[in-house]
Amino acid sequence: MTLSRRQMLVLGGGGLVALATFAAAPVRSAEPVEIAMRGTPRGERVWFSPPGLSVAAGTPLRFVNQDPANSHTCTAYHPDLFDRQRRIPAAAVPWDSDFLLPGDSFALTLTVPGVYDYYCQPHEMAAMVGRIVVGRPGDPGWEGPAPASEDLMAEVLAAFPPVDAILARGRVEAQEAA
Amino acid sequence: MRAFVPILLAGLALATPAPAHEGAVTTPPAAPFAKVSGLVPLPDFIPGLGTLYVDPATLPAGPFLGYDHDGRLSATIYMIPLDDLAAGKAFDKLPVGTDTVTGVDIYYNAGHPGVEKPHAHVVLYHDKDAAGRLAK
Repeated sequence: MTLSRRQMLVLGGGGLVALATFAAAPVRSAEPVEIAMRGTPRGERVWFSPPGLSVAAGTPLRFVNQDPANSHTCTAYHPDLFDRQRRIPAAAVPWDSDFLLPGDSFALTLTVPGVYDYYCQPHEMAAMVGRIVVGRPGDPGWEGPAPASEDLMAEVLAAFPPVDAILARGRVEAQEAA
Repeated sequence: MRAFVPILLAGLALATPAPAHEGAVTTPPAAPFAKVSGLVPLPDFIPGLGTLYVDPATLPAGPFLGYDHDGRLSATIYMIPLDDLAAGKAFDKLPVGTDTVTGVDIYYNAGHPGVEKPHAHVVLYHDKDAAGRLAK
């Protein structure tokens, strides 16, 4: 299996915003924080692990496909990507990992404070979605969660972990989010 | 429950008068069959199903022909969207890779590239060791 690594720095609103949020809680990690793409052996269930994560602005993130039987994407909800309604801060740049085969990874850094919702293209119908909270409410440029939108199934909306829970615990695992 | 198994297999045999592809037992099938990993972004060998080939014109149901690591036809797989069944659609007279079937597994799959709707995998194993060879 060829390991492909893709990288993206989502700067969005510019360096001033990134610098202003650098010291915000939670503490920024120098090592990439990993979000795994997982599935049961027969594909009955698929999920991001963790589906809810709180990070400081500028924290490197790494999505890794750890599902040996399936491919996955991490794709931001944004009009520029498949004409979806925006569910990331307005100042942020959307991203799409493209398909990751087993063992592949995708690196991402988010610098604009706020709530980012993303999904897996072939598994959105299975409610394989995730939420990353960058910084905390009150940070300069902060934008909270997007409201419910008509292009999302109720099961998908219900799968986004609550922002309060993510901020309180740092990460919300799949069984907690269900 | 056991009584249903021979009935199911007999029904499949009646519905599948001819193999999907003559000579497909030990070698990958000829066109129009194509390797699934070349059609959609999926691994070459999918644990549990093997290296899959399908005639794209038959998607999503298939048959998908599953080969083990040695290129031996080990399973025929059908992928049946649940909402199609609920809407009353029937999948009749589906071909099989070979007419020897030693076991059948049916299970739910949440979706994957190529068949993104929730669907059922119907896996026909063609010899008693097939499932083991396809597992990893």
